[in-house]
Amino acid sequence: MLRTDPTTAHYPVDPARLDLAREFRAAPKGPHGPELRKLVHRFRWSGIGGRWCLITVEAGARWMLALLPDIRGEEIRTFPDTTFTSLEDAEWHVFRIRWKAHTGQDLPEDFSDTDA
Amino acid sequence: MIDSTKVVGYASPWSVAPGDTVRFHLSSEVLDRAQARIVRIRCADSDRNGPGKKVEHVLSPLDGEIALTDCPTYNGSWGRVPPSPTLRGLKEFSLGLWLFPTRVTGADQSVMARFDAATGHGWRLFLDSTGRLAFQVAADGESTTLTTAEPVCIREWIFVSASFSAPGGRLVLATESLAPDGGRAKAETLEVEMRVPALWPDDLALSFAACLSGQPDGPETVQHFNGKIDRPRLHATALAPAAIRALVETAHPAIGDPDLLGAWDFSQDIPGDRIVDLSAHALHGHVHRLPMRGVTGANWDGTRRSWTEAPAQYGAIHFHDDDIDDAAWPVAAEWTVPEGTRSGFYTLEASADHDGIRTESHMIFFVRPPRGTTTAKVCVIAPTATYLAYANNRSRIDQTHFEVMADGLMVFAPDDIYGQKHREYGSSVYDTHMDDSGVCYSSAHRPILNGRPSNYTFNYVNDTHLLDWLEEQDIAYDVVTDEDLHREGAGLLAPYPVVLTMTHPEYTSKQMLDGLQAYQNGGGRHMYLGGNGFYWRIAFHPTRPGIIELRRGITGLRSWEAEAGEDCLSFTGEPSGLWRSVGRAPQRLTGVGFSAQVFDRSTFYRRLPDSDLPRASFVMEGVDPDERIGDFGLRMGGAAGLEIDRADPDLGTSPDAMILATADRTGPGGIPAPEELPALYRGFSGEESSISRADIVLTPTARGGAVFSVGSIAWCCSLSHNGYDNNVSRITGNVLRRFLDPEPV
Ligand SMILES: [Fe+2]
Repeated sequence: MLRTDPTTAHYPVDPARLDLAREFRAAPKGPHGPELRKLVHRFRWSGIGGRWCLITVEAGARWMLALLPDIRGEEIRTFPDTTFTSLEDAEWHVFRIRWKAHTGQDLPEDFSDTDA
Repeated sequence: MIDSTKVVGYASPWSVAPGDTVRFHLSSEVLDRAQARIVRIRCADSDRNGPGKKVEHVLSPLDGEIALTDCPTYNGSWGRVPPSPTLRGLKEFSLGLWLFPTRVTGADQSVMARFDAATGHGWRLFLDSTGRLAFQVAADGESTTLTTAEPVCIREWIFVSASFSAPGGRLVLATESLAPDGGRAKAETLEVEMRVPALWPDDLALSFAACLSGQPDGPETVQHFNGKIDRPRLHATALAPAAIRALVETAHPAIGDPDLLGAWDFSQDIPGDRIVDLSAHALHGHVHRLPMRGVTGANWDGTRRSWTEAPAQYGAIHFHDDDIDDAAWPVAAEWTVPEGTRSGFYTLEASADHDGIRTESHMIFFVRPPRGTTTAKVCVIAPTATYLAYANNRSRIDQTHFEVMADGLMVFAPDDIYGQKHREYGSSVYDTHMDDSGVCYSSAHRPILNGRPSNYTFNYVNDTHLLDWLEEQDIAYDVVTDEDLHREGAGLLAPYPVVLTMTHPEYTSKQMLDGLQAYQNGGGRHMYLGGNGFYWRIAFHPTRPGIIELRRGITGLRSWEAEAGEDCLSFTGEPSGLWRSVGRAPQRLTGVGFSAQVFDRSTFYRRLPDSDLPRASFVMEGVDPDERIGDFGLRMGGAAGLEIDRADPDLGTSPDAMILATADRTGPGGIPAPEELPALYRGFSGEESSISRADIVLTPTARGGAVFSVGSIAWCCSLSHNGYDNNVSRITGNVLRRFLDPEPV
């Protein structure tokens, strides 16, 4: 039987590597350097911090945040108050949630104002 | 935002000619009426970055309001033996079978029964909510149940017997594992006395993998079982477990025994729906909702891999509580296609305003030219086998890897949210059943939320970009479907100078492949304008239209893997899996075959020296030697992407093939298909290796025929770039015009 196992992603997340978060902020849709690719892989594959996704509101123009279920067959939760007009903004929003879930630390919403 | 879930339904059949009638089965949870009209689809993609949605209203008597009801959909395959005097008169009996349970569901699962769930009368062998085997006899106000102490092992064969004897009123239940392995070997025998009922229920069918609901409205059956049942037996006396086991072990029990009431041989009529009783009592029956047949029995020994070679080892049926073959909704409307109707992609559009939101749903079908004639020089094959294969694909929701594959957040449509609430519509052959076994059948006779004009673009919506381009170029075309080609063969294509296959003709029956090959070798010109084509071997149901079967085999880019010994199709006995595995890799047909997935970003092609060959020079006319081809497009910015194909003489690319261009810089997201790797090593991604690439190939065939292939799903979604003035459009046009010229290529 073939399966994809969410627990197999195990690249360590280093809370001190704010440079990687900054690299992601600068180009949420990539391309990313090798180190950031591994971090993002851990975030996306593991589902830790939530299996976030988007729902199209207007094709190619607006998207709503949604959460896939951890248990197969259960409902997809939607967040109609959280919409994005760019996929980059959506990526950054979810990246911050996952960063917090993995490191316990908040990322500032806008890195351009900080110099951590 | 336009909603597309307030009305759902399906058209049948999918393929109709003028004079034929297409029927629409519709349901709505919230609306009792909607506006209906027939539309011809030109572009089904509402993305504002592209040509936008374009449909043409076709006047019909359906224009206007249509009445809707809320139709339920029931799941779960099962076997039914009709009520008979033989079953009714039983005072004592025993039963036995091999059982391979695959899921504990938290509810009862009936394995073999004559039981009415509403009254609670009859007898049933079942798995209880915790996975313990149980045998219940209930009649005449009395009910006694024996339950094993331990739950069954999932995915292990066990022998099960049960008996009820009249004189003393004794109930016996015995189980024993087939495997003697430590940890798996389990055996229990339980007995209890009970009062003999004076009155048995009368007209109850005998059922396998479910029991009768007893409800006049609602589903006919409940308590559906997940797993395999092999060689069930029913005997008119209370035999000891060892005697029952002897009956169950043999494939050919002594039919002279008048007390042997039923000895079912599920290895008979594997392609069909009959279940055959070997006993003298002829208690034959039928299976319903397409349980998986042609599966290994408890006696399968690994010496054969096909039910055609060793039928006696394939006497099991795999039932699932989520199987579906036909939602069987009532017909809400129908349309007899008038003479003179243009061939094309059509839908019934049902629309309404609900709570201030516009709802618009499409039930797809295809109008072919009048039978025996053509109305254009170009024939487009609608890849309906692929639409069926992907129908209600839930794997992006159920599995974990898609966000990584796409290198970005997954984007779903509102249809996906609705579909998740309606798992009863069934899933695709990409999915697994809730018991983790692969879904091998897909039917058009149920609501399909993704293969229609909607925000889910893969396949159907992408394909309409080719239609849009043909309309824009004023090129007349006929449409036929995969299933038309399957059932009618090469003669369907022969009258056309040019045949187009679309963005993703991935699923192919032998008849379809033979038809295309004969067409090409008979002087036909085939433009394959997609990727990952002609990859999996499927079959259409031998008699019922609109149903396909696939076994994913043991190689290929497979979302599930066939169980050991179960890679042959139940519909035909053919080995399923990859065409490559049976000596007919796609390269043999089109010059290119599946090499890689690139779901993160698409790329462009660059010309290769073959494009200057005199025989091929027409293809690149108007394209500069160093020009990037398809460095743009609606699918992640390039014409080479999503799923891509490469040439390979080892796999069948013709010695005469000309490789005109290649897109080999697919980056870190260009990941080769598993069958492309002879060993595991670093450096196989498109960043470091050109194994992940799309090749544009022109191949002259026999009798002046030719095949032109682009090897990329994204190609057609680049056609409309810059007002259709771009090199992808130019190349496609160059080839199509040349292919329409009868001068041999
Ligand atoms: Fe595919």
